[in-house]
Amino acid sequence: MFDSIIDPTLGPAADAQRAPATLADRPDSLSGLRLGLLANTKRNAEQFLDQVGRVLTEQHGVRAVVARKKPDITNTAPEPILDDLRAGCDVVVVGVGDCGSCSASAVADGIILEQSGVPAVVVCTDAFTASADAMARVRGVPGYHYLTVPHPMANLTPGGVRDKAAAAVPEIVAMLTSGAMAAAS
Amino acid sequence: MTTAADPAEAAGDPVEQAKDVIEYCYEQGWTDGLPVVPATSRGVGAFLATTPRGAEEIIGTAPHLGRSITVAQAAANAIMAGCKPDYFPLVLAAWEAVNLERSARGAWQSTSGPSPLIVVNGPVRSRLEINCEGGVFGPGFRANATIARAIGLIVRNGYGIRPHELEQATQGLPGRWSVCLGENEEASPWEPFSVAGGLEPGVDAVSAVLIRTCEYVDNRGTDDPVAVLTDFADTLARMGAYLGGGHSSGGLVLGPEHAQLFGRHGYGRADVQRWLFEHAVRDRADLAAAGKGDGPVGDPAQAGTPFPMMPSARDIPILVAGAGNAAISMVFRPFGWAPWSGRSVPVAWSRAPSGA
Repeated sequence: MFDSIIDPTLGPAADAQRAPATLADRPDSLSGLRLGLLANTKRNAEQFLDQVGRVLTEQHGVRAVVARKKPDITNTAPEPILDDLRAGCDVVVVGVGDCGSCSASAVADGIILEQSGVPAVVVCTDAFTASADAMARVRGVPGYHYLTVPHPMANLTPGGVRDKAAAAVPEIVAMLTSGAMAAAS
Repeated sequence: MTTAADPAEAAGDPVEQAKDVIEYCYEQGWTDGLPVVPATSRGVGAFLATTPRGAEEIIGTAPHLGRSITVAQAAANAIMAGCKPDYFPLVLAAWEAVNLERSARGAWQSTSGPSPLIVVNGPVRSRLEINCEGGVFGPGFRANATIARAIGLIVRNGYGIRPHELEQATQGLPGRWSVCLGENEEASPWEPFSVAGGLEPGVDAVSAVLIRTCEYVDNRGTDDPVAVLTDFADTLARMGAYLGGGHSSGGLVLGPEHAQLFGRHGYGRADVQRWLFEHAVRDRADLAAAGKGDGPVGDPAQAGTPFPMMPSARDIPILVAGAGNAAISMVFRPFGWAPWSGRSVPVAWSRAPSGA
């Protein structure tokens, strides 16, 4: 009825919808694998991921850890960092999405790695599921499964970060190995 | 006039149809909560005629979202915001000025929920009836209200950054997407703000700072410039605005009375900036007591010295706006750690505007 109204959301033709993304196949276990940790600049993000790396090394047989930190919370990780992770890792943990921009961009990083064939788990705090879900839709993976941990992260003591990381490890292992993360239709 | 609710009659009534169009736009998710004016290709054509820029020129990109924004798309959103065609070159200049801000990249998804403070200088203020005087923060003036609103609709519809989705403002701020003010150059003792932004006087120009809030300083009982400066410094140094890690941020929209008081006593803009930088300080112990003692505040080499809350003298932007009827000014809080870009954007016209 109102066909003459211009849709203000339509950008240039080049901004075509992304094709649905395919996620990576999962290994049977983490034993003997190389783990990547992709941190952002948020407070406690590196400490959280380092602790995850320690537990996965000590208890799940990870043989090497490659830790990288991206410089920008809004955009996806720069290509050189993604290349390091693609080349040097069998699985990657991304985090921590505990702000408006970085929750969305963490999901984008995880999906980019998945599309390169690298299984990834994205960790966000549970305050940012709306933003994380919105980015998953933007990236062509509606319903993308990521790990939520209780908000907040930034005000935790070192002990609190260790506890939160330890509590997250079983689900991280399950998400990296179970094969349950089939691409959403 | 009939008052009967005859559906057949109502269907042919253009006023009823206009209401239906407004509802249709709501249903599409295109509005910021207020009604919008529908954009048509004829309307977009009228807007495009005011600018030398091409319809398909890209004026913004969000690579992480896979979205870009064209001039024509900005025009559609400016129409929806209620702009007149002659406002459109100002919308484009404001968009460019906003994107000069280093903090703009992550701003629209941020929990901080910042909003542009848009400043217009030059003769265009009178041609397009941009308010520079009483009630300058609005509402009540079409150009001021709709130019600011257009920027918000471009972000929402152009990038798809919508509240409770990709937009994650914890609280936002009063007046988000509604602050566009003309500098009251005629009441200012100093050169226009756009000259501080690198342009010649008399040039139509737009500047923008992303801000997290404004707070007033009411000081009408003294003619002592140092007393007034002391009052400003206290507000600038408020701890709550400090995020930790670097420094706080602040700027001033001086009411004409305060600006003229400084002018009468021989203070230039740079003198005011320097005084405020030197005096907007806090005891490091106070910041530590508030849980903000990490980073530069806790630097052992600086123990016992006051902590400067402002990044530098020149990074305290100062402009003049409002009515000359009371000694009231506004402190505003730039978003993030990056200072104002310091660059004003000249307005590019395809033809001389015909007036409002």
